[in-house]
Amino acid sequence: MDARPHERARQGRHGLVSVALAALAVAAASLFAAVAGGLLRACPATAPPGLPGWLVAGATSHAALMICGFLGTLVATERAVAVGRAWAWLPPAASALGALLLIGGDAGHGRLALLLAGLAFVGVSVAIVRRQFAPHTILLAIGAGAWLVGNAMLLADAGTPLPWWFAFLVLTVAAERLEMTRLTRRARTTGLQLAAVVAVLLAGATAASLAGAVAALGIALFGAGLLLLAAWLFAHDIATRTIRAAGLGRYMATCLLLGYGWLAVAGVGWIGLAAGRPWRDMALHALGLGFIVSMMMAHAPVILPALTRVRVRFGAAFYAPVALLHVSLAIRLGLGLDDPLRRGMGAALNAAALLLFIATMAGAAVAWRLARGGPTRRELD
Amino acid sequence: MNALAAHDRVESHDPFPYAGPVALRAAIEGALRRVVDPEVAMSIVDVGLVYGVDVSERQVRVLVTMTSAACPVVDVIIDDIWHELSRVLPASLAIDVELVWEPPWMPARMSARARAVMGW
Repeated sequence: MDARPHERARQGRHGLVSVALAALAVAAASLFAAVAGGLLRACPATAPPGLPGWLVAGATSHAALMICGFLGTLVATERAVAVGRAWAWLPPAASALGALLLIGGDAGHGRLALLLAGLAFVGVSVAIVRRQFAPHTILLAIGAGAWLVGNAMLLADAGTPLPWWFAFLVLTVAAERLEMTRLTRRARTTGLQLAAVVAVLLAGATAASLAGAVAALGIALFGAGLLLLAAWLFAHDIATRTIRAAGLGRYMATCLLLGYGWLAVAGVGWIGLAAGRPWRDMALHALGLGFIVSMMMAHAPVILPALTRVRVRFGAAFYAPVALLHVSLAIRLGLGLDDPLRRGMGAALNAAALLLFIATMAGAAVAWRLARGGPTRRELD
Repeated sequence: MNALAAHDRVESHDPFPYAGPVALRAAIEGALRRVVDPEVAMSIVDVGLVYGVDVSERQVRVLVTMTSAACPVVDVIIDDIWHELSRVLPASLAIDVELVWEPPWMPARMSARARAVMGW
């Protein structure tokens, strides 16, 4: 029979799937280089000479590859799919290019491409605000602005971009969770409370970018902002309700709530770091792995099909990499707090959790194909 | 026999506006109830994302919305709607799922069950 109207519309919407796949392939390469480089950094022994260039780049540009090359490309791809316009693909294309240049050892042009990605992403986010003027779209745009500031700092070599980069990720998550609170019977103050938390986080990131004692105050303020955000999420997020659902809903809620716990730990880590405690690993990785990667694991079974048209069949196996991530992070940041060997072991298990998650997703894609890949039934034919 | 004969048509508004043959009404509602918004772990019918279904002689037209314009799972949900409807509808009927943003989704659109789950 003729192509159905919906099929035709669908083909139109998905003409850019190959672009999405290319962006995600670079994001995956970025993740691989960043994790391998991260393990090199976490290893207590001295790195042997003669390492390949990509591995050295993975170690020196670990944060840029993880946050911009991997997560930034992923978030920008997600947004491009939502917008559904060709120009919305400029941010993920630019950040993917930036990641490739960083991995290839051309840091100068790589940083320039990331700045372009940040600029374009602000443009796309403003377009979304114009399409839907709402608190959560405004917050997404503020998050995009934070990414731009971080990328500009990286290019100018003007201090650490980490608070801004993390602000980008944290505000993006906060915006998406704020949107979900619309389903609950929220008080008028719910949004105002989050606005105050965002103000604390941005003030912290700004002060942390300055010199001297103000910077320490900024780091502490950023940590306080993370703690407040964790409290806000526990109080208002729908995950405390959807945890009672079955299947995928419960899995997502489990990842979200565990992530909120690590967000609070990260807040303590940043405050401790400001007070001179050796808690840098806790500050960065309770946030980056415990919170952000947990959010990614929560949403991957839903987002991957949205981006690539590859559907996955959810099953209990998804809990295995999640459990490994959280246990290994507890080893790394708990037992490894004063013990570099345990910290290194925890970091290696963190990497294993990421690999196991990728394998689980691949297996779930095969399982879906086996279960529902055949021709559509027409029961009333 | 033409399943869409005028005397078989029905118009109803609960749980979503429906205009079409009475014979297909339950099957269509059942199919749409099997489409789950993964983020909230509830059916799109319960969340109130279905704005209307209109069945003509040649096609089924479904109007749906999303809670957010920045939501990338739109296509997954639309595919699921298409898949579930194609399982229960005759192949002679084309399926047209249209995404609309007006009027914007409001919490009041949720079903009593969904509102209870979300603490209303």
